[in-house]
Amino acid sequence: MDRVESLLKRPTAYGNVDGTGELGMGFMCLGYALITWLQLHTPKDAIWNQMYVLFIWVGSMVAMIHFGTKAIKNHITYPRTGFVAYRTQNRIWTAIIASVVSALSVAGLVLAAHSHWHIVMPVFFIGLFFAAGYAFGIARSGSVNALFRWKWVVVLAQVIGSLLIALLPEDLTATVSGGSSLSTWFSASSAGAYLLWLMLYGTLLLISGVISFWLYLRHTQAPAKEANEPANSGAH
Amino acid sequence: MNRQIQALTEIDRVIHEPGRLMIVALLSAVDRADFLYLQHETEMNKGTLSSHLSRLEEAGYVEVLKTYRGKVPQTLLHLTKTGRKAFEQYRRKLKEAL
Repeated sequence: MDRVESLLKRPTAYGNVDGTGELGMGFMCLGYALITWLQLHTPKDAIWNQMYVLFIWVGSMVAMIHFGTKAIKNHITYPRTGFVAYRTQNRIWTAIIASVVSALSVAGLVLAAHSHWHIVMPVFFIGLFFAAGYAFGIARSGSVNALFRWKWVVVLAQVIGSLLIALLPEDLTATVSGGSSLSTWFSASSAGAYLLWLMLYGTLLLISGVISFWLYLRHTQAPAKEANEPANSGAH
Repeated sequence: MNRQIQALTEIDRVIHEPGRLMIVALLSAVDRADFLYLQHETEMNKGTLSSHLSRLEEAGYVEVLKTYRGKVPQTLLHLTKTGRKAFEQYRRKLKEAL
């Protein structure tokens, strides 16, 4: 019975078998870090601080991640280890959960800033929250594929990194933001901490994605051209 | 004890075979998958996998769709409503039996 339960989890873990999920998330975090850095280090009336530029930027990143992932899947993953289409119902739930989590994170950050909390601590807690989400994903996929277990090191690096950012002196994080802030709600040190957090998570996820992709290539190989075809049946 | 034995006798023999159980379990978690994916996950050879799929197709549990991915032929497999229902029932019966 346990074997059946384990088999039911395998297709879910297969979605990120090539590390494309982490590559996408890492790219997104670093993209946000770059636009945040540009917003902080240019005058308020510069093009980077216009709302429409942010929308174009986010739209471009989403498009690049979508088409990049699709290209890797179509040209590398599917020809090597096969194609899987997930049930729409599952995708809708994933999208709903991701939206709720993102909205709660942003609301938490805004609320914390609005309540004049010291923002570095909320950045630490958001870091822990994201690390917990990542850990949940590894626990789920690691139970069906031992190849994912090394990713616990990434979780540890995320937690330690978040803690280190929280412990940095305020004037140092303010230096990172160039003494500027994103809005009246955030101080310069908060913006610097946020920027560092984005850079840390983006880099860690990107490294994790590259290692996953390399391991996937190393442990799999493209079958002979006719391997996708059943050999001996009249029905197939 | 009697109920457990009865549950055992009611288990779907088409699904209960280990190879076919693997196929049905994998397909139940997705909308559709191709032959290569099943071959990779089950580690069966083409002949064995193909014969199990034929048996499942005969029982009306699996639908086979021959298509192309670019110029490469692709065999897509999909668990039918009957197959999904049969698998759910199988799991229930197995739990009762255990």
